[in-house]
Amino acid sequence: MNRGRLLLLPDFITRHVLFAMVFGGVAGIGFMVFLIEFDHYTSSEAFCTTCHSMELAAEPYRQSSHYLPVSGVRASCGDCHVSPGVFAATWDHFVGGKDLFRQIFGADYDDPVINALHLPEAAFSARDWFRRNDSHTCRRCHEQEAIVGKRADTLEIHQQDAKDKTCVDCHINLVHRPVPERATYKRDAWNRMVEQQFGLEAGSAERLLAE
Amino acid sequence: MPPNLRCLLVVLSLLSGTAWGAKVSLTPDNWGHPAGEDCVSCHTKSSAGIAGQWKESAHARAGVNCMDCHQAEVGDADAITHEGQTIATVVSPKDCGRCHTTEMEQQRGSVHAEAVAVIAERMPAMVNNVAGPAIEAAGCAQCHGSKVNLMANGKLDPNTWPNSGIGRINPDGSRGSCSSCHGRHLFSKAQAREPQACVRCHSGPDSPDKEVFEASKHGMAFMANREKMNLDGETWVAGKDYSAAPTCATCHMGAAGKLPSTHDVGMRNAWNLNTPVSERQYLVVFDDGGKRELPESMSAPRPGSRVPKLDGTEAAVKMVATPQRRRDAMTLVCRECHGKDFANAFMTQFDEVVHLYNEKFGKPAQAIMQDLYSQKKLTPAPFDEPIEFTYWELWHDEGARARHGASMASPNHAWWEGMYVVGRNFYSRFLPQVREVAGSDAAGILERHLGSVEQHQWLKAPEKGSPILGVGNPRGGNE
Repeated sequence: MNRGRLLLLPDFITRHVLFAMVFGGVAGIGFMVFLIEFDHYTSSEAFCTTCHSMELAAEPYRQSSHYLPVSGVRASCGDCHVSPGVFAATWDHFVGGKDLFRQIFGADYDDPVINALHLPEAAFSARDWFRRNDSHTCRRCHEQEAIVGKRADTLEIHQQDAKDKTCVDCHINLVHRPVPERATYKRDAWNRMVEQQFGLEAGSAERLLAE
Repeated sequence: MPPNLRCLLVVLSLLSGTAWGAKVSLTPDNWGHPAGEDCVSCHTKSSAGIAGQWKESAHARAGVNCMDCHQAEVGDADAITHEGQTIATVVSPKDCGRCHTTEMEQQRGSVHAEAVAVIAERMPAMVNNVAGPAIEAAGCAQCHGSKVNLMANGKLDPNTWPNSGIGRINPDGSRGSCSSCHGRHLFSKAQAREPQACVRCHSGPDSPDKEVFEASKHGMAFMANREKMNLDGETWVAGKDYSAAPTCATCHMGAAGKLPSTHDVGMRNAWNLNTPVSERQYLVVFDDGGKRELPESMSAPRPGSRVPKLDGTEAAVKMVATPQRRRDAMTLVCRECHGKDFANAFMTQFDEVVHLYNEKFGKPAQAIMQDLYSQKKLTPAPFDEPIEFTYWELWHDEGARARHGASMASPNHAWWEGMYVVGRNFYSRFLPQVREVAGSDAAGILERHLGSVEQHQWLKAPEKGSPILGVGNPRGGNE
């Protein structure tokens, strides 16, 4: 009987190795659980709105059909804006860290005026993300093949005409403040609208954006 | 052809852009946008109604698709991105005019195209005093036109859209809405030739043209002979393609004999009939294609002189059509069915009603109101005193009704719905209210403005009775 040998394990599994494996395994599981919990928590409305600027995005969201569907199936921030799968979700949160950086060091997004002025670029960037990943977060819940709708031909449209399209090609401005598509969006008109909304004098939007 | 008729036709041809109705100005390789088929595939499902109308249209037969009319440039004020295409919801006369150039040019500057400018001075009091902004969107602007606004969020402003008012100010700056008469998306010739095409706006208390037409011999002939009207005809020249009856379009726009058709709907009108006092009007055509009317009491501007347009800018005068020339054009339509003397005598009957309205009611009432304002018997604000409604209705509703009734041969509208109501209003509401407002000054004001009007002198003989009221003979004798 070999000294120090436990059970029928090969020779190189020494006690230290075994200890490292068990510890590593438990630590690994713990890390994964941490990531899952981390992603889960950081995808929640409660977490996102800890930044006041996000509260401004959440206001229209709370009036939307994704927050108040008759079925009660509520989509949280992360359900739409964070990729499925723990690694992709972690990566999205890592990349999203730049938003935190900008929140701290960038423009004063907590100010509703500044926030509204910067909103179009945020919307374009979000739409680009949805297009790049074929609206995969929409598809978490919505199965294109199964969209029947309430009107005649909604099914056909989704199976024929929308076949090579992604969800956000047609469905935009569902949740947050409506922003035109990038190609036909007009910064000048947007600035004037924000000025009018907040009772600012003409031209102040450009000045605020330059600050 | 008599020389003056030939001269008239030359003027009308110039006013019309081209003489004999126009075909589209682009060749077919300019339409049939490649992206249009995708629109049809989806819209056949999502909005089957309009897709179905388009499929039955002459546009579809010619291969003109959704994108040919709805395409836009990225920089256009109302451009939106839809399914990857840059489009505009609003199709303006400028868009239609890419192909239908002649019609667009004729329509430009017409009373239809300028329907917003026509009421610009009246709108604030109507909208802000009598009603509220909601009525501008749902009422005034639905006939006269809105100033369509695409909001910064990419949506059309619901205060200005939907709208197919005839003088709509479009985001591209053009004025008008072809679909006001040519219902989208079928764009049926027959539909636009129907009297029904005009009814949405030319009905009701202030311009009951639907009711007037229906109550006239012309309307009677149309109802009885609708199937003989050749409404679907490729050409539609009165006296040639049809002769059973005229519709609104026949007299105000249509080709008749040698008279060319026009999309300037007011061109053949000698009078303005929707004003406190009617006056015969010149039609001034500017060298930039714009038009305006000027009253006959002014001397006609010379060609080349600069005259302010309705929008306040100045332009050089290209030509001037006198009221008589405009009347002659209208009379040419009559002449396809009626003799010269018949047509001229009808016009005399019509003109006499306008003169009667002007001299007996319109001018005195206007002068009395001016006195009441200048003597501070009334506040300057409109519609805060009952007499202001009385006076407004006298000319804007009842007076217009009488004049329109006479212009289009409805005896009931000329009299019972028209001049009778004018008279009733004038004697039983307007004059008593003047007396109330002016107090001891009333007698002087009334004598100044009515004293020399022959047709009010009967008021000075109250002892002269008549059996009309059905209470026996007030003179006391037995019947």
